[in-house]
Amino acid sequence: MDIRGSLRYLDNVLILMIVFSLALFSLFLILPLADMISLPLAFTLERLVSGTKTGYSLIELFSDPRLFRTYSTTEPVKISQLGGATLVNFIGWNFGVIPNTLIIASLVTLNTTVLGLVVAFIMARYDFRGKMLMRVLAYMPLLMTPFVNAFVIKKLFSFDGLFSYIINSVIGLPLKINVDGMFGVVLTQSMAFWPIVYLNVYSSMMLIDPSLEEQAENLGARGFKLFRSVTLPLSLPGLAAGAAVVFIFSMEDLGGPIAYGFYDVLSYSIYSNIKAAQNIGEVGAYVGALSIVLLALALAIFFGIKRYVSLRQYAMLSRGGRWIPRVRKPKLVGSLIIYLVVLPVMVFTAMPQIGVFITAFSVRWSKAYPEGFTLDHFASILKNPDVITGLSNSLKYAAIATTIITVLSLSSAYVAARSRLQTLNEVLDMISTSPLAIPGLAIASGYIVMFTSWPFKDTFLDPLSIYGPWLLVVLAYTVRRSPFATRVIYAGLQQVHVAYEEAAMNLGASRLRTLATVVIPLLGLNILSGALLAFVYSIAETSVSVTVGAIVAGQKPLTAVMLDFLTGGRLAGLQLAAAMAVLIVVTQLLIIFVTNVFLKQRYAFIGV
Amino acid sequence: MTRVSLRRVVKRFGNVYAAKDVELDIAKGEFFALLGPSGCGKTTTLRIIAGFEYPDSGQVFFDEEDVTYTKPYERGTAMVFQNYALWPHMSVFDNVAYGLKVRKLPKEDIRRRVLEVLDLVGLRGLEDRYPLQLSGGQQQRVALARALVVEPKVLLLDEPLSNLDAKLRIRMREEIKKIQRTLNITTIYVTHDQEEAMSISDRVAVMNQGRILQVGTPQDIYFRPKNIFVATFIGKSTLLQGKVVKKDADRVVVDVGGEARIAGKLASDSGIKEGDDAVLVIKPEDFTVDPPEEPYNAIEGVVEFSMFLGSFTQLRMSVANQNLKVFIDPKKEVKPGSKFVIYVKIDDVLVFPRSEEVLEVA
Ligand SMILES: Nc1ncnc2c1ncn2[C@@H]1O[C@H](COP(=O)(O)OP(=O)(O)OP(=O)(O)O)[C@@H](O)[C@H]1O
Ligand SMILES: [Mg+2]
Repeated sequence: MDIRGSLRYLDNVLILMIVFSLALFSLFLILPLADMISLPLAFTLERLVSGTKTGYSLIELFSDPRLFRTYSTTEPVKISQLGGATLVNFIGWNFGVIPNTLIIASLVTLNTTVLGLVVAFIMARYDFRGKMLMRVLAYMPLLMTPFVNAFVIKKLFSFDGLFSYIINSVIGLPLKINVDGMFGVVLTQSMAFWPIVYLNVYSSMMLIDPSLEEQAENLGARGFKLFRSVTLPLSLPGLAAGAAVVFIFSMEDLGGPIAYGFYDVLSYSIYSNIKAAQNIGEVGAYVGALSIVLLALALAIFFGIKRYVSLRQYAMLSRGGRWIPRVRKPKLVGSLIIYLVVLPVMVFTAMPQIGVFITAFSVRWSKAYPEGFTLDHFASILKNPDVITGLSNSLKYAAIATTIITVLSLSSAYVAARSRLQTLNEVLDMISTSPLAIPGLAIASGYIVMFTSWPFKDTFLDPLSIYGPWLLVVLAYTVRRSPFATRVIYAGLQQVHVAYEEAAMNLGASRLRTLATVVIPLLGLNILSGALLAFVYSIAETSVSVTVGAIVAGQKPLTAVMLDFLTGGRLAGLQLAAAMAVLIVVTQLLIIFVTNVFLKQRYAFIGV
Repeated sequence: MTRVSLRRVVKRFGNVYAAKDVELDIAKGEFFALLGPSGCGKTTTLRIIAGFEYPDSGQVFFDEEDVTYTKPYERGTAMVFQNYALWPHMSVFDNVAYGLKVRKLPKEDIRRRVLEVLDLVGLRGLEDRYPLQLSGGQQQRVALARALVVEPKVLLLDEPLSNLDAKLRIRMREEIKKIQRTLNITTIYVTHDQEEAMSISDRVAVMNQGRILQVGTPQDIYFRPKNIFVATFIGKSTLLQGKVVKKDADRVVVDVGGEARIAGKLASDSGIKEGDDAVLVIKPEDFTVDPPEEPYNAIEGVVEFSMFLGSFTQLRMSVANQNLKVFIDPKKEVKPGSKFVIYVKIDDVLVFPRSEEVLEVA
């Protein structure tokens, strides 16, 4: 159909929805990123054309030894002797910011893919005792404990941490291990992110028509061959989506690098330079250049996997199988693998979250494990003015963001599902899912670049103005968390037959009235659960919160306050931050419970 | 009451024409059926009239007013959807009242009119139920009531009975007809069931591949089909192919091979000459086992297959290596494999020039 013909189907309400969605995403996603990119690009161009160096250009990126090195400044593994014990220190390499980021993300993606795939296969195809326990364990790393889990892991794997203690004092081997540096980051992120791969692969596998596998079996494919030739290819979309998301999450993670003091990664470099820039009042081309690299890598992956899968699948985590999947009891070897390898690994990856809970209730953690039971930390955070301000800020920001998200997601999902402008629908679909792939730190740099200068300087959008950054934080939450709600609403719209709306309009109801009396009531549960999801993920947001959100002390959201407690050298800082994490987790669990039990939706637990 | 006219309406989806130069004139208060096989464009035509689709070219008029691009909510049509599209979150009362609320009628009027129309469709007392608590037939009536209550300019029905069982279908179609007569609303009824179209409507339009092939009264369409598609789509006619050997005014004799010659009536003046290929169309029920009084053909063939179907027996006969479908008196016994002679009036044999379409239909 030609464009002119399609335009006839528009009406004022649809146009308003289109304009609102596009304007919001343009102003608070696309333009800031473009603005941020433009400065270093301009310098690069100038340098290439006239040879003069006016500012930090992309060329400097490759000649900066902090960013790129051909050698590592650290030995990956260091072994030493102390008092009759062998000390093994796993440190990893340090090749400079950009190679480090790529090495970490690749290793993390590899680890999480292997573990996620194995667990998904077991869960989708086998029935055994303890399956329920495994299911719960698999969800544990998804409990949102911003920053704190990384600090807990670091403590568990230090020379006087729990693991060395078990090896040394319980088992009695003269051996102590310590994980640090790059390996610490890899370990932390692998433990935290693998369920993302698992959930995506699992839902793909549950969608595989069992008859396909049966047919292959009929033709003689068995065991691993069946897995490799049928099951794996069919679950590839889930695998691609999960792995891509892990890669992107790894690149933008701040918790691991901060906990281990491994600062030579993109995320930390951007973070620290934004922090430093707050004093000068502007972020320069350097942050811009770093953010370009981060953004370019993320977008390359985003578009790379589009061939296999749209991120929609990731955001939706479909309602599982329509089929009755093929489950069977494992044989001996299978059982051994499940109980002796997979289950222990899963317990292991659940330890940080368990550790966060224990820490929040323990008096001190000066030896290998936390000691004593107390509720003091909760009492003291609830009395602490910084925490109270942070908490109420977070609730306020998340609530406003959720309100905007509800309108935005309804608009963009409705247009994408119902308008006849094919190209517009595709563009809108892409823009509205892209925040899943765009690192929050890139958005943060973009905001600071764009909104501190003309024409926004000194307006209420300028984070450095007297108004502070709170509105920008709200808008960042809105943009970053809207895909969760959009996807849930979009899925709902596909269940609601368009004839319901046509029947209303046929009887004389305008578009607005149809929306109010037919669409919104029929989508009520989807809208509500989408909004709840967006709310809880807004509260747990870190990237923008600890950068833009930390500019003015009184406007810091909770996650920024937590980071202060963890890095501020404060007495019992870890325990206090853990107590705050427990508050977030309880909110998250409550919301998941409500969406699953009352709203009968299965979209919760999406990622970190 | 409104007159509906479509002028050279064209609608294409990709390479498929859902409407191709559709010309229709539907009179005030007329009950008009759109009949055609699946995918021929009936729903699309109806949706163009309702305003859910806009034509690529051509115009739609309600009386003198051009409504081609008028929004659906400004047209004053009321549609009964094939799947009813009753809103599951509203009670029967609220479903039916919806159009009146949109029109901002006073509460008491709404209540009175909703109850009246529920009376009319025989659903009084069910107004507090929800659609999912109703049977298929009841849902269908709610959908009808919801459309009727707003006293639409044009009532549009898209296969409204296709989800009902055979018995209910017949009862409901009588009721729809009765209600339409009482209210005298211009009504367009889409169906792929020729019997339904014939029994219910004042006039029928037969569609195929987006084109209107013939418009006429049910009798016109049934007895005087203008082309082979209409002739075969209506009445499940059987075909014989051959060559014209003699033409005398509208009388034509066709050689169907193997010395067999059949005389028939030319269906349209298409300039067919002696020596041209022709197709004979005969309704299976027009065959008799005894010679009729009017001029007739006697056709001899071999019975290949016979099936007793209660009110008649269906035979498949081979005549000059072509198959012929024949319905005969069920009391007559016929043995498969035997030779058999059947009769058909010359006036009941329609002769069409052979065209590409024939192959498609056969
Ligand atoms: N929105 C659409 N997009 C693409 N093709 C369409 C669309 N709507 C209809 N078509 C095509 O147009 C043709 C006519 O469709 P239409 O629904 O009008 O047929 P119909 O006569 O109502 O058939 P049925 O008896 O099966 O309901 C079909 O080939 C159909 O596939
Ligand atoms: Mg149809």
